[in-house]
Amino acid sequence: MTPPKPHRVLLDRVSGYADEAAAYMRRRRASRRPFARLYYPGGRAEDHADDSRAGAELFVAAGRLIEIAGKRPKP
Amino acid sequence: MRLGPGTRVGILAEMADGETSGAVSEQAAEGALAYLTEMSPDLRGAAIVGPDGAVLAASGDAGRWREDVAELFAVADGAGGEPVEQIHLGTEQGEVFALRHAGLAAVAVSERFALASLTFFDLRALLRDLVAGAAA
Repeated sequence: MTPPKPHRVLLDRVSGYADEAAAYMRRRRASRRPFARLYYPGGRAEDHADDSRAGAELFVAAGRLIEIAGKRPKP
Repeated sequence: MRLGPGTRVGILAEMADGETSGAVSEQAAEGALAYLTEMSPDLRGAAIVGPDGAVLAASGDAGRWREDVAELFAVADGAGGEPVEQIHLGTEQGEVFALRHAGLAAVAVSERFALASLTFFDLRALLRDLVAGAAA
């Protein structure tokens, strides 16, 4: 059995890094997606998409609260 | 939906838990908020709101907190057709946690990716302590 040609090793390594980066970007996109979850007595929960009317209103209200809170003061 | 002073909805009109048996003092609420701020590294700001919608303690402008917390609960209550108990909103700019308990409400704004269960636990514990203190 002959060892792989050096340029193949390099190509495999580069494509491995590219796959890792693509997976990282996918995870990052999913985790940065805005969400709105409402919980009711009894354990019921509802998600509201940001393109729904209720979701849009919730995000506007949340944005105002985030604005009031501002940035965390540095210790 | 932006609520004017004359249209403010009583945010705690229909409570998920029983009402507080005693009034929570602003001093107690401020102490509780200071403690929450100290033990939550991701927290950027928070407010504790009384049964009548008045802000008992807040980081920053209490008037704005009062108005915007009322608006948040009004929108949330309208979204599902019944009063909410907890609200969790995440945006790229940060996360908002809101919780009602026994006539009080606590709202916290944190950095993104704060531990939601821990934050809600802290908010609930804070309100429970305030209610227990008021009843004593």
